[in-house]
Amino acid sequence: MTIRGPGAVSKDVNAALTSLDAAPLVGAPPAFAEIAASQLDAVYRYLVYLTGDRAAAEDLTAETFEKAFRTWRRFDPRRGSPRTWLCRIARSVAVDWFRAETRRRRREETYARDVPLSEEFGDGLPGPLEEALRELSPAEREVVALRVLLELDGPSAARVLGISQTACSTRLSRALRRLEERMNDVRE
Amino acid sequence: MSASELTVERLLRAHAPHAPETLRTRVLALESAPQQRNTPSRRLVLVALPAAIAIAVLAAVVHGVVGSGSPRAVPANKSFSSQTQGADGTGATVDSSARARADSKQPLTAPSFGAPARLQHTDASLQVRVGDVDALAAATSRATRIATSLGGYAQSVDYRTPDGGGGASYLELRVPAQNVKTAIAQLGALGTLVSQELSVTDLQQTFRRQSEQIAQLRRRVAALRAALTGVSLPEAQKVLLQIRLAESKRALAQRLNARKGTISAGTTAQISLVIGTEKAIAPVAHHQGRLGRMMHSAVGFLALEGIILLYALIVISPLALVAAAVWVWRRRSVERLLAA
Repeated sequence: MTIRGPGAVSKDVNAALTSLDAAPLVGAPPAFAEIAASQLDAVYRYLVYLTGDRAAAEDLTAETFEKAFRTWRRFDPRRGSPRTWLCRIARSVAVDWFRAETRRRRREETYARDVPLSEEFGDGLPGPLEEALRELSPAEREVVALRVLLELDGPSAARVLGISQTACSTRLSRALRRLEERMNDVRE
Repeated sequence: MSASELTVERLLRAHAPHAPETLRTRVLALESAPQQRNTPSRRLVLVALPAAIAIAVLAAVVHGVVGSGSPRAVPANKSFSSQTQGADGTGATVDSSARARADSKQPLTAPSFGAPARLQHTDASLQVRVGDVDALAAATSRATRIATSLGGYAQSVDYRTPDGGGGASYLELRVPAQNVKTAIAQLGALGTLVSQELSVTDLQQTFRRQSEQIAQLRRRVAALRAALTGVSLPEAQKVLLQIRLAESKRALAQRLNARKGTISAGTTAQISLVIGTEKAIAPVAHHQGRLGRMMHSAVGFLALEGIILLYALIVISPLALVAAAVWVWRRRSVERLLAA
């Protein structure tokens, strides 16, 4: 793999969007069940990468879809794809979880950095890559999840993260470079 | 598959985690749950905001249309409005304005008001403009003569001609109630009538109540006097009756005095007259035509709405600033949280 510049990802990153995410839908929104079935994996992956905790990601995914179900009528397909909308909800839910976790760990006088992540990010992901992912910050894993796993385009990912496209690209570039460096170290 | 053969991206995608079946079942079961109906807040704002603006403008236009109505019951383009106040405190006052006649030399005819058979107090206020100080002196003298000729008198006259030019005289006139209409007409003709206000207070009910109280007190006084003439009364009781008699007499005197005042007020009208030169009394600007008045009224109402909105913004803005600061702080705290 080569890094071609800030935020650069492979050409096929955005090439395989599902029909539900290919373009903002116009007219009547699709049924919620249809969206849930097609976006469940994407949301779950995003939350696994963000939290580094599969159990938490599972709970947060369920919470995300519950929240999405309650606010389904507010979803406007003209303003973005269902995946982007769901990711924004997921992020809000995850941030609340992070805050609660921080408070809990403060109470227990154990900080997040002191607890190494033992969960696996991928299903059968090579060990060095798993290790490299653990060394990334949640913010870096988050952008990797959105851009690489969920294949969101730059503007959508930036919207989910609440940052500029440039910042999003820079963050992705840095995260991928660190992963690649780690992989190169292993190869050598 | 060797890690060296795949790019990081492809590896990550190829080994992306999949949601467990239990989670899938849990999420897909949501569809069967009853869905809460939520009002789309953004759309609501998009509808509510223009609607609020439209209502505000409509209210201003309605206010303008209502406020610019043509003068009512005014002979020869004269502008009057009436209000007569009843004895019970409610009722009406007569307020007359001759703005439309500000530049006219035509004599003003007072409006018909009140009921001749009833006891009513009339209170009038007139502003008349004259050309110069000489005309002011003549008009002041003429005003007192008018009051006297109609059976009344000038209670006070305050004549002022400052060094800077111009001048004004302030007269408090009393004329018999039956001549008030004539008096107003003659006083209004002393110069250019600038404004005229007229209020009529019905005193009939007050008079009747006072008369009833007087009759009742008279009966009580007579009864007490009769009781005191009895020979068989004990001394203590006699003293008590004497005290009551004295109190009743005092109350009767008060009621008689009050009724005298009511009769006096009902038979004499009070006229406050201000005669001034052009410098002392500025002509009242008026808006030409109904459309002009409507526009003026509507713009005034809109300005009032704007002032209310401004006050609301002044009150809300500190809260909005605090909310914005909290929002920024929370946003930054999220970044710090995830960067750790």
